[in-house]
Amino acid sequence: MAMTYEDTQKSAVPRWQRGVTFARNNAAILLIYLFIFLLIGTGSFFSDRFLTASNLINIMRQSIVLGLLAIGQTAVLLTGGMDISQEMVARLVGLIVATLFAATGSNPMMILPLLLLGTTIGVALGLVNGLLITRTHAVPFIITFGVSFLLRGINLAISTTPIRGIPDAYLTIYDSKIGIVPVNVIVMALVWLIAWFFTTRSRLGRNIYAVGGSERIAKLSAIRVNRTLVWAYVLSSVFAALAGLFLLARTGVGDPNAAQGMTFQAIVAAAVGGISLYGGRGSIFGTLGGVLLLTLLSNFFNLMQINIFYQQLLLGAIVLVAVSAYKSKDLGAL
Amino acid sequence: MTESTSTTHSTDTILSLKDIQKTFGGIHALSGVSFDLREGEVHALVGENGAGKSTLIKTITGAYVPDGGSITVGGGEYEMLTPNQARQLGIGVVYQEFNLLPDMPVAENIFLTTPPMGRWGLIDTKKRAQQAYKLLERLGAHKHINPYALVKDLTVGEQQIVEIAKALAMDAHILIMDEPSAVLPSRDMDRLYKVVRALRDEGHGIIYISHRLNEIFELADRVTVLKDGQTVATKLVAKTDEDDLVRMMVGRELTDMYPPVSTIEPGEVLLDVRDLCIENTVFDINFQVRAGEVVGLAGLGGSGRTTIARALVGLADIISGEIAYFGQPARMTAASAARAGVVLIPEDRKAFGLILDQSNRFNITLPNLPQLERWKMILKRDEWDPVIRAIDDLGVRPPNPELDSGSLSGGNQQKVVLAKWIMARPKVIIFDEPTRGIDVGAKSEIYTRMREISQQGVGIIMASSDLPEVLGMSDRILVLHEGRMAGELSREEASEEAIMKLAAVAHENGASA
Repeated sequence: MAMTYEDTQKSAVPRWQRGVTFARNNAAILLIYLFIFLLIGTGSFFSDRFLTASNLINIMRQSIVLGLLAIGQTAVLLTGGMDISQEMVARLVGLIVATLFAATGSNPMMILPLLLLGTTIGVALGLVNGLLITRTHAVPFIITFGVSFLLRGINLAISTTPIRGIPDAYLTIYDSKIGIVPVNVIVMALVWLIAWFFTTRSRLGRNIYAVGGSERIAKLSAIRVNRTLVWAYVLSSVFAALAGLFLLARTGVGDPNAAQGMTFQAIVAAAVGGISLYGGRGSIFGTLGGVLLLTLLSNFFNLMQINIFYQQLLLGAIVLVAVSAYKSKDLGAL
Repeated sequence: MTESTSTTHSTDTILSLKDIQKTFGGIHALSGVSFDLREGEVHALVGENGAGKSTLIKTITGAYVPDGGSITVGGGEYEMLTPNQARQLGIGVVYQEFNLLPDMPVAENIFLTTPPMGRWGLIDTKKRAQQAYKLLERLGAHKHINPYALVKDLTVGEQQIVEIAKALAMDAHILIMDEPSAVLPSRDMDRLYKVVRALRDEGHGIIYISHRLNEIFELADRVTVLKDGQTVATKLVAKTDEDDLVRMMVGRELTDMYPPVSTIEPGEVLLDVRDLCIENTVFDINFQVRAGEVVGLAGLGGSGRTTIARALVGLADIISGEIAYFGQPARMTAASAARAGVVLIPEDRKAFGLILDQSNRFNITLPNLPQLERWKMILKRDEWDPVIRAIDDLGVRPPNPELDSGSLSGGNQQKVVLAKWIMARPKVIIFDEPTRGIDVGAKSEIYTRMREISQQGVGIIMASSDLPEVLGMSDRILVLHEGRMAGELSREEASEEAIMKLAAVAHENGASA
């Protein structure tokens, strides 16, 4: 008798065994959320301003830039690559859009076209990264590092001082709320859901995992490896561009220092969340955990008014502990 | 410097194994092997794949701990050796795959573990080069190989000599050579023979593993035949001949593990290989595969079986020749082969078959996502149904779709690979060593499945070193010898002896089909 989906859900594998498999397959994620709970517990113990609705919403809003970058970065990390150019892409998009706003006299009619333009720049730069990597077969780290320097040069050429002239209407991207919840937080929650669906239930998402797991097996399974890789870098860049556009709404100026150090934070968030830097393994929920953890930490540090030096020190320690816990590659072997 | 220690007072037997036993999970790899090596002799070790040669070698070098028996070497008797002990007792190995650092000079490679030291604990590089030169001189290769040359710039034959020199640098007195000729182009063969003879004349004992019977007659003094983990006989080479050796190597009962033979006539030509040449390994191969037949590809290690199997799905650098799928010349890339419906079920599942740290579900559906897609999405139900059915159908244990494929046994992993490709409905399946390292139960299930698929009109090529399997499954058998087609046998003509003769003996003895 052939079994169906319902049958297996009922009987083929005992419930407890499915539970064990689930726990093993998702040990990294369970671990990071445990961490988050502990942190929230500790936070509310030390400060009564920590566990308040407004602070938690604030944390979610703070996590948006890092979240966008980390989702894109996750796509690339899952292929076994790395995208160092993210923050420069974000910055470039911010600067170009700000310049064009200024040049068109802060006209609100320009918002939609410029949002589109910013995203398109993201696509284009992702194509550059992806094509360079698939054509030269060089290490992605080096290629995107090179591209990132190139973009840094362009950014400096555009402006070394903040660019003013963003129309007020644009700032609603950051400001508008439904009740006390910012619209962007709701949108971001949807983005995470879509990202989860994309990684687990779309062909491109699956192919990204497969390419990261083994390029050769992916090829033998009729997967277009180069096309998959290019897509991953395009995703990474598009998300970086979105982060740039969001930052522009947050700061209200085209900032030549925007997104400083955010690429590495995004990589760290994904790695702490259990995305394997060798590729092919990890879940977007892990990345979300990593993003929340980093954001919570910095929020907590600020509330506690901990010296920035110790913040860095603690952050470094957490990264090392988390990543060495996953070092055994499959925590599933526990 | 130490002079050769060739004249000691002991007898001239320098290594003696008595009744060596070794089991792996209940399977006897060695069940009572005895073997001895004398000073100044080349002792050939022959036997089919799986006869126990490598296990025996690994016991001597200390890589395996034997379950019983004794090893007498260097005046002491041991139950087991550690790798370090083996090295100190003067046992050196030249493996088929060299352990050389390609970007380092020859001299540095030779003295990698035992560099001559100079003042202040620094390596005396000048002395090292001189000693390397002397070693190469002993091997008659000092004119070809410069101690300062980088290993990667040497030919394979030269690298092999460096590997031998490396063993000598560690004062190896007993030299084990694991199929040294398998990696060499034939023009380098004479030089290898010269080196081996020179070492023998210096008084070294050499264990020479080879599949090529003619070179045993060229080189060896004595020969020991292993079969199914036992010593069949040790003979003086002068007192035996090829037929005699082949007879000792083969001869086993066919079990009822194999499904009944095909009941359908072969159909259209699915795969047509013409004048296929692959650099240094495969030459002028021609054959066809028709719908509904199982074509066996037999041959010894290094005969090009696996290379051909891989070439058929675009995993080899084809120099010349043509492969046609269904009458159309094929674009030979791995992805296009799979899209055309020509798939490989590989020997090395980790490298070519399954992504081990993904779930069975992920692996099985990987090439089948396009057909599962609905509205650009892979819905859980659309995916689970066929996966569950495939796992159930092939009897994968445990039948858990979410388990990492890497956590399954070899046999079950092979079933997952099979499930993956059966779902893709391929037209041609190429099996490479379909049952190596797989337990008996899973074996027979895989055979049954293989026959079932072929009865449905799929063309199957089965490259295998396991002769009973080749005989039990194939409708016809292509035999390879050193990268060339040595002959074709129909099911009726085929026997272990007939295959071995074509595979192991030089061409003039082999019949053409």
